[in-house]
Amino acid sequence: MSDQRIFARYKATEIRAELQNFDAKRSKVSATKRKVALRKIIANLKMGNYNEMVLLYPEMLKFWQVEDDLEVKRICHEYVRTLGAAKPQSAKEALGAVLGDLENKNEEVQIMSLRTLSAVTSLEYINEAFKAVGYVLARRGVPQNLLKTAILLLKYMDDLDHDRVSSTLDSLYDIFERQLASPTVQVAALHTIYAIHEKNTDLKPLRLELDVAMGLLDLLPQLNEWDKAMVLESLTTSAVPQTHSDVCAMIELVLPQLQHANTYVALNAFKFIAYLLNYAEHVNEGLIKRFSNSIVSLLNKPPELEFLVLRNIILLLLSRGASLLKLDVSFFFIEYNDPIYIKDTKLECLYLSADHETLPRILEELVQYATDIDIQMSRKAIRAIGNLAVKLNEEAAHDCVDALLDLLEFGVDYVVQEIISVFRNILRKHPKRFESIIGELVKHTESVQEPEAKNAMIWIITNYSYALPNYLEFFQVFSSNLLEETSDVQFSILTSSVKFFIRNPNYQTEKICIKALKQCTEEINNPDLRDRAFMYWRLLSLAQSPKSHLLSNDSMTKLIDGELPAIQLSTKLDPVILEELELNIGTIASIYLKPVSQVFRNTRTKRLLPSPILNPNKENLKVINDGSTNLNSGAFERVPEWETIGQSDDVSVASPRRTKTMMNDYDKPAEKVNQLKGKRKSSSAGPSTLSRKPSMLVRKLSMKKPF
Amino acid sequence: MINAIFIYSTRGELIVSKLFNNSLKRSISDIFRIQVINNLDVRSPILTLGSTTFHHIRSNGSDSLWIVTVSRTNANSGAIWEFLYKFNAILDAYDLTKEEKLKEDFMICYEILDVVIGAGGIPMDTELGSIASKISVKPPKSGGTSSEPKSSTVANFPGSNLSTSNLSMPKFLTRNNRSMSQDLGTNYPSNFPWRPNGIKYKKNEVFLYVNEKINILVSRDGSILKAYVDGTIDMTTHLSGTPICQFGLNDSPSVEFGDSLWLDTQEFHNKKAVPKAAAGSVMLEDCKFHQCVSLDKFNKERIIKFVPPDGNMELMKYCVRDNLNLPFKITPVVTPCGSTVEYRITLKSLFPNKLSAKDVALHIPVPPGTVDCKINISNGKCKFESEENAMVWRFNKYHGLTENTLSAVTVPTSDTTQLTLQQWPRPPMSLGFEIMMFSNSGLVVRYFRVSDKDEKYRVVKWIKYISKSGSYEVRY
Repeated sequence: MSDQRIFARYKATEIRAELQNFDAKRSKVSATKRKVALRKIIANLKMGNYNEMVLLYPEMLKFWQVEDDLEVKRICHEYVRTLGAAKPQSAKEALGAVLGDLENKNEEVQIMSLRTLSAVTSLEYINEAFKAVGYVLARRGVPQNLLKTAILLLKYMDDLDHDRVSSTLDSLYDIFERQLASPTVQVAALHTIYAIHEKNTDLKPLRLELDVAMGLLDLLPQLNEWDKAMVLESLTTSAVPQTHSDVCAMIELVLPQLQHANTYVALNAFKFIAYLLNYAEHVNEGLIKRFSNSIVSLLNKPPELEFLVLRNIILLLLSRGASLLKLDVSFFFIEYNDPIYIKDTKLECLYLSADHETLPRILEELVQYATDIDIQMSRKAIRAIGNLAVKLNEEAAHDCVDALLDLLEFGVDYVVQEIISVFRNILRKHPKRFESIIGELVKHTESVQEPEAKNAMIWIITNYSYALPNYLEFFQVFSSNLLEETSDVQFSILTSSVKFFIRNPNYQTEKICIKALKQCTEEINNPDLRDRAFMYWRLLSLAQSPKSHLLSNDSMTKLIDGELPAIQLSTKLDPVILEELELNIGTIASIYLKPVSQVFRNTRTKRLLPSPILNPNKENLKVINDGSTNLNSGAFERVPEWETIGQSDDVSVASPRRTKTMMNDYDKPAEKVNQLKGKRKSSSAGPSTLSRKPSMLVRKLSMKKPF
Repeated sequence: MINAIFIYSTRGELIVSKLFNNSLKRSISDIFRIQVINNLDVRSPILTLGSTTFHHIRSNGSDSLWIVTVSRTNANSGAIWEFLYKFNAILDAYDLTKEEKLKEDFMICYEILDVVIGAGGIPMDTELGSIASKISVKPPKSGGTSSEPKSSTVANFPGSNLSTSNLSMPKFLTRNNRSMSQDLGTNYPSNFPWRPNGIKYKKNEVFLYVNEKINILVSRDGSILKAYVDGTIDMTTHLSGTPICQFGLNDSPSVEFGDSLWLDTQEFHNKKAVPKAAAGSVMLEDCKFHQCVSLDKFNKERIIKFVPPDGNMELMKYCVRDNLNLPFKITPVVTPCGSTVEYRITLKSLFPNKLSAKDVALHIPVPPGTVDCKINISNGKCKFESEENAMVWRFNKYHGLTENTLSAVTVPTSDTTQLTLQQWPRPPMSLGFEIMMFSNSGLVVRYFRVSDKDEKYRVVKWIKYISKSGSYEVRY
């Protein structure tokens, strides 16, 4: 091959010399050498060596004329595209050559030329590009791929000159409305129109005639995977059903696509059906089953796709609860070598899908993770247990608290920090229930170190001081250290010391309180803290002063030590945002769970278009179990009883989901049992048998086949 | 949708860059390098800065490449990742996933990109078979001995030779080929976007592989927390013309359909072709099919019918969760005793005794601070591997219905205390294995036929079942 590396910076003169060297001879060898030199040009362009490479325009144009080789052609076009985007002025000389290729007999060259025209940002090129695309669209009998390229290019040219593109839109409509071209071209036209409508918010949202939409759905079986998905994507929100039977008919056409192996197709089919359900009377149980199955099998994809699917599961759990997907929680159990982003997402899924039925299993898993080696993971698991206690009712909280207390005994430092932190929320949610365990928690007063844990501990001590006879001792662990703490903790200490004092004004509490106020006002530089300390101080002195009629002791207590409102964990997003996200299943926005307009400017916010049958409230969607289904899922609903046929040695276990199966259920008697002989031997120490017995080594080396 | 594609070497050198949109600058590739490649702690496969989003995957192999897309709209991540994996598979078939090779032949990569991605950054076609027919170079790895594609006569399926199956053909299979403009040479589109016309082989062969991976997690008390089988049916076809393949499985809905083809099992004269563990019917949780399978047909009649692309493909994926055939039972007893830990583990195979598993390896984690283990085993080989912090018990061959025992004790460093043992999180033990002609799920291909309009169409069919371990884990 080449004597020099292709991927290295070259000067224009070097390459020129190389090209000229092999120019004279017409042999095969020189042709390959020339190609190597040309490749070097592309490699240099990719490295950003524009200034040198731009000097080679004359050489490139020469090749354009003489060479009749596709690879050379491709290199030439790539050259013009790359330089044309970086230095539009320089590309002018090549315009003629590019246009020449448009007339070439080979379809591939025509496509290349078309794409090059649209890639260069100078006025001449853009004009020619519009002319060429218009010409291709107007002509009859254009090869399929060329036509498709021209149609798809319109999407980008729309950025350049919207007015000129919008005049061609009608002819695009015609292509799929009247089914003028092959299916894949129709899809391209549909996609271009859809994309242009997405980008230009001044256009009305795309809305297709119903029979046109049906016609497109009828095409589905003939299309390849990417086209299928594109149809489904474009029709979401633009095909608006008018009657309930429209909904059923559309769902029936799309349903088989849920089983497609390509995530893009399966998720888009899912999205389309979920969108249609906004217009549906009711949803069939069989459909939910198929949804769930389809989603579950997508979880076996490579991690990135699994991640996407999990994020979308979160989205659906947030917006519909468990009404559209019935997934067993075990799908969200974390595997040892899952990438970190999958672990995080699964944890979130576990949290969201927990209810009373699944809690025991989920708790068992979470406790397992909490003892994981990965500190991050372990903390997140503990946090999840704490959040579950807040999310669910008291009974469930009890189980969570038990699990946390077990973990507390585990005694690892970061586990303690995290548990104390989450307990604050649990106690706020269930104030009276867990008084008995306060004593257990405060045992760890000495070991809390992180600001959040300290804060939580101070709060716990303060709020449950009535249950702790020696609460001041615990408190002094923190208050004696006021000056060294972070500002969060300083605030907590200040507030708590004032609270102690007004609850129980005696010599000891007064001393603590005064000390805290003094330190905060005199020694600490944080103005917020100082202001708060002054405020407390004035309040206290006001109550003591002759003007005490202005502020009674009672009202001061209420002011400083009032009841806290109960906390709610808000897992719900705004329903408007959820509705939008549901129409964007599978997209980038669905990963971040943010409305599209927040991440991407200039995009239309997707909305459900009005129709007489649009459901005002999706919560009301009824789930029915209808045997005579119109969705063709009958086969899935009849689950036959398991029977063993023949095979006496096969112990089979009917295992309905969610009951516990034991490993022992699968046990069979062994026919051969190898017993232990001899003693335990050390495995690594000592030389291996091979080196001790040279003869064996020789045999091993001379062996031809491994067995 | 996709605005640019970049391929970087492992260390972040940009090898291939293709911009589909002139609003992007080359310098955007530096942003990815700085933000992701040079960042040791990557916690997400997606990165969005402003409104520019990078999706990336790594190709496999030692010097794994970074394959990255840039998009500036709310693109569909499913499409992008799915595309990246398929693109990676194509590169792999062309042997371009090695850095050195890619630097030499990057123009092939551009050529591929021109075919797989259409104007506007939209994936067009990612089926290796049909890509290969459009590209000047043939992939070195495609096992096929595909001769020059000749423009064949219009494929037309008369119903007669299919009457045995008593089935009406799906609509798309009976559609006649449209006449296309002829200046496209040999590659004019066939009825099936994934299969070019005019493929010829001297000997028609089909290989069907039923690959299964079993995943199981057993808790301390022996209850099974989760158990499922991920299966794929892979196919290698070397078939001439445009044949129609059809097969049926023993999944319960289709057994219920009671179609008469069940009798065709005798097609396998060789009894060994049916895996031992298979029995009755299997409840397939869900199946996903390659695009060539007529999904309508499956939906209505549970028949898998398709015109295969040439060469290798993954025909379907499925998942089974109930009534699995667990191949191994592990019973661990792990007792800490002072600063050492004692293990007593029995490993028992539960598959029929005529079969045997190969590459069986049980990884037994030991607490940190272990310098050695004293091991006694009834069979196989067991070694303490300090870099893994585990004992590994291996068998080259493990026969069915056999039980083996391991007894071991750890030798700790002097500063190991009881406390460190208590805080040891005990990662699960995991087992690896591979069993031929065994089906973890009990799934069987009941019949498999290939038909063509030519009555004399002869095909050699092979079916192979391979059961492997996914994550087969036991807590203790």
